Amino acid sequence: MFRYLAKRGITYVFMIFLTTSAGYLLAVSTLKPALLEQERIPRPTPEQVVNSLSLKGLNPELNPWERYVDWLTGIVTRWDWGRSPNGAFINAEFGDRVWISTRLFLASIILTLVIGVALGVYSAARQYKFSDRAITAYSYLAYIVPAPIAYFLVQLAAININDTLGKRVFFVTGISTPGMDPGWAQFVDMVAHYAVPTIAITLVGWGSYQIAQRQYLLDNVNADFVRTARAKGLTRNQAISRHALRVSFIPVAQSIAFTIPAIFAGGFFAEKIFAWPGVGSWSIDAISQQDVNAATATLAYGSVIFAIGAILADFATTLVDPRVRVQ
Amino acid sequence: MSRETSPEPSESLPVSAVAASPVGRSTAERLHVAGLHAPGDAVLSVRDLNVRFNSENGVVHAVRGVDFDLLPGKTLGIVGESGSGKSVTSMAIMGLLPETAEVNGSVLLKGKELLGLSDKAMCKYRGKELAMVFQDPLSSLTPVYTVGNQIVEALTVHNPTMSKQAKEVRAAELLGMVGIPSPKDRLKAFPHEFSGGMRQRVMIAIAIANNPRVLIADEPTTALDVTIQAQVLEVLQKAQDETGAAVVMITHDLGVVAGIADDILVMYAGKPVEAGVVDDIYYNPRMPYTMGLLGAVPRVDISEKSSLIPIEGMPPNLVHTPTGCSFAPRCPLAGPECLTGEPPLRKVPGSSAHQAACVKAEALGGDVDVHDIFHAPPVPVSNFAGIPREDRKTVLELRDVKKHFPLMKGALLKRRIGTVKAVDGLSFDIREGECFAIVGESGSGKTTTLLEIMEFHKDQDGEVVIGGLSNKEAADSKTKFAMRKEMQMVFQDPTGALDPRFTVYEVLAEPLVNQGMGKSDIKKRIMELMRLVGLQPDHVNRFPNQFSGGQRQRIGIARALAVNPKLVVLDEPVSALDVSVQAGVINLLDKLRAELGLSYLMVAHDLAVVRHISDRVAVMYLGKIVEVGEVGRVFDNPRHPYTRALLSAIPVPDPEVERNRERIILEGDLPTPLDAPTGCNFVTRCPVYAALPEAKKQKCLTEEPPLEMISASRAAAQLEAETSTALDQRFACFFPDGDLDQSSLVSHASAGPHAP
Ligand SMILES: Nc1ncnc2c1ncn2[C@@H]1O[C@H](COP(=O)(O)OP(=O)(O)O)[C@@H](O)[C@H]1O
Ligand code: SF4
Ligand code: SF4
Ligand SMILES: [Mg+2]
Repeated sequence: MFRYLAKRGITYVFMIFLTTSAGYLLAVSTLKPALLEQERIPRPTPEQVVNSLSLKGLNPELNPWERYVDWLTGIVTRWDWGRSPNGAFINAEFGDRVWISTRLFLASIILTLVIGVALGVYSAARQYKFSDRAITAYSYLAYIVPAPIAYFLVQLAAININDTLGKRVFFVTGISTPGMDPGWAQFVDMVAHYAVPTIAITLVGWGSYQIAQRQYLLDNVNADFVRTARAKGLTRNQAISRHALRVSFIPVAQSIAFTIPAIFAGGFFAEKIFAWPGVGSWSIDAISQQDVNAATATLAYGSVIFAIGAILADFATTLVDPRVRVQ
Repeated sequence: MSRETSPEPSESLPVSAVAASPVGRSTAERLHVAGLHAPGDAVLSVRDLNVRFNSENGVVHAVRGVDFDLLPGKTLGIVGESGSGKSVTSMAIMGLLPETAEVNGSVLLKGKELLGLSDKAMCKYRGKELAMVFQDPLSSLTPVYTVGNQIVEALTVHNPTMSKQAKEVRAAELLGMVGIPSPKDRLKAFPHEFSGGMRQRVMIAIAIANNPRVLIADEPTTALDVTIQAQVLEVLQKAQDETGAAVVMITHDLGVVAGIADDILVMYAGKPVEAGVVDDIYYNPRMPYTMGLLGAVPRVDISEKSSLIPIEGMPPNLVHTPTGCSFAPRCPLAGPECLTGEPPLRKVPGSSAHQAACVKAEALGGDVDVHDIFHAPPVPVSNFAGIPREDRKTVLELRDVKKHFPLMKGALLKRRIGTVKAVDGLSFDIREGECFAIVGESGSGKTTTLLEIMEFHKDQDGEVVIGGLSNKEAADSKTKFAMRKEMQMVFQDPTGALDPRFTVYEVLAEPLVNQGMGKSDIKKRIMELMRLVGLQPDHVNRFPNQFSGGQRQRIGIARALAVNPKLVVLDEPVSALDVSVQAGVINLLDKLRAELGLSYLMVAHDLAVVRHISDRVAVMYLGKIVEVGEVGRVFDNPRHPYTRALLSAIPVPDPEVERNRERIILEGDLPTPLDAPTGCNFVTRCPVYAALPEAKKQKCLTEEPPLEMISASRAAAQLEAETSTALDQRFACFFPDGDLDQSSLVSHASAGPHAP
């Protein structure tokens, strides 16, 4: 089992390296920070621009391959991911932002999974009853509505609640109020900031899980092996909960591989809308700032998330499907 | 709840009254003499069972008045075509039908009424007194739990106080009882690690875990190969002996129940149409449907000179209640008297327990020949009949054709861990007007052989010659096109092979258009084809789903014949069809071969069908031909131990023959071709090898037996000398006709069908 996961891990490291390298080469040949620098007032001379960029390790006169080798050497020897055109160090900037994003998404992913799967099972058990129809209809709606619009709606709802109550219960933007005393007050402040984005992402995310889980369970409710279990003397409900449920988890566990990256991708919008200074909003900025190193770093982060999603999916599959362990 | 249809006074009593009244021994005896059993006698007593389903098209009356009594330790066979309500009956008894099903009547288990019990109340009986084995072993076990886990669960449900160790011990004991080697270790295995036959054994182990009084087996061997079927039937009998359970054996195969059933119930359109002890049904059937069914199955043990009996038409749609005999639309004897009310099951005169639901039952006894009743077509005679084989042209020849698949392992860097020799040096030829069949268990390489022939490519290993065109000489698209004109294929699944979006006309026109035929010629040819395969020409504009399975297979045959090929490749042409329909298609194939001078290459697992239609047969095992020759010779005088076992495993629809037969039960499953042994392929399962003295065993282990005629048997040598022609039979075994290992022989002859 561990050997298997380790082997998978090595494969993923290799793949991350390839995507990131390809991403760097693409970025370095298309993003031209020099052009932006020249729009500054007073307008710098081309020599000044080259000079200032060279100092930050972004010499535009080197060819892409030379810059790639420099960049890679920096990472491999010093774990230095380079600098932005504005002089900021990627390592420091990234370090701050990655925790903001990760904290936000971690809570959302866990809630999405748990609520989605639980509602899927619940609605399958009440197939065609009112609660099933209502839940499933909601899920399809959440599935269709573009995520940014849904986030806006949640934001508006939170503002409405604040207005109705006449005081600020939820923060709809930002990650914390500056200058809070550490302790209880700071914790309350954090929860008030986290609540709205987390709820927004979760509300949008669970739909697809609910639909999938409901369908997989219903597919298995009349499976031959459930009939066998009933023929042994289990009641229908016992047979379903002991046999069909476990089997229906398998495809859901496998789908984690795609859902985790999807939630992160959707989260980039959320960061923009809720004004969270996370990796997502940074990556969007990086493109407009012609920032090669930042763009590549966010790409690397994205591939790592992909790999984590895939490994978690493997892990979850192994958990519910013991056949994988045997092989 | 009284039944107007039943003439017997005891049965027309309200069921509750029967159940409530204490039945004395004398009453039981009296009823027994009258051919009935008192409810107190029977473990399971079903009366007037009716099941209705609500469907989109209306109410489907799937089971319409089933009655039977099952005595302790006895076996009842329920036979009928698919859709006749066999499975629904068994599920109704088990209380496993969906809630939407409407179930009426009475099911008494040891005098207790089961119908109407809640799911929870039924759980007291299910798995304890009443157990069931289902048809498809591959999907009947939960994939994520170990086999042991699933057996233990059956114990836990009914014995909550049993200790964990005791349950483990019992589970291992059960697994051993159904013949799984090293049962203790195998408890930890998951279902996917077991073959179909082994999973069915596990299902039997689960079913008998609590020593049930009644064991229902719904087509338990239909999905299995014949050799595995023989094993599983043997295990079922053993399980019955161990537990003393009464068995309800449901099947569509009249051979399977002939040897093991005491009583038979024939079902048609949801109703029992004939019932009686096994010999009555097989030797003295009184209902035309039963007679037709018996005549429709080809026999593997005798070479027939007559055509099979086709039962035209389809079973009725159960949404509409039949006004007369439900079999009337297909019955050649139907007259006006058959259409006024459904004939009830009535006692056949001169027999105590034999009942038939036919107005003409009395007249059908004795020496009535089914072939006359059903107008079986005459045996077609081919133009090639008189010409010796050697003088006919060769239409297909294979020379040392091989197909090896490398077996790879690893995610990124693949490495070869072995070779699967799916087809390993096949040579044979087919002459004009001849039918050559390849038989063997699944996994023996039959389908790969066909694919290799269809492939027809220069780079193949071995030579394929079709109508004089060799794959080695030219393999451009022109040669391939010419080859396709020589050879066409008919597939196993008539539904999957026809595109549902095209009408029959379009399906048949396609190959003709490809041949560049003109519009009016195409039309003429299609009408001709429709008539040729026995379809109504004015149905050409219908879509495939408007036809029955047998008719669809006829469309498939018409499509293959469109371009006038010399050779037709038939891949399991009738295995997806019901016996009555199958007979019609086999007769058609026979007729077409004679009329059009066709040659067939047929792959089939049903050896009875092969015996009926083929001239020559090759038996394949692990990619090799182990025995080949003229079909009568090979089937009547099999020399290779595998052929002997295969033939002995096939059930014959004749109770007397079945009871006195000695079966060779092969050990285990087909080994994967990967670990094919050196020396003789068959050594791992060979019953002759097992009985050989050590000194001789070495030869089987180290040398590969060549495929040749060894005149080891003196009779064969003599015959050969007399006729001065080489006998058409070759086999690959060093010790043909060798003595068989006694432990692989099973016979139930000595003490009737249920000798312990
Ligand atoms: N759940 C169901 N809903 C509607 N019709 C059904 C259902 N189950 C079986 N039937 C119908 O009942 C008839 C008898 O089916 P079945 O008992 O499975 O036949 P057999 O086992 O003899 O092949 C068929 O016409 C089938 O379509
Ligand atoms: S009752 Fe009539 S139609 Fe029905 S089986 Fe008998 S003869 Fe045929
Ligand atoms: S050669 Fe030996 S092992 Fe092979 S079939 Fe003959 S007796 Fe059996
Ligand atoms: Mg069935």
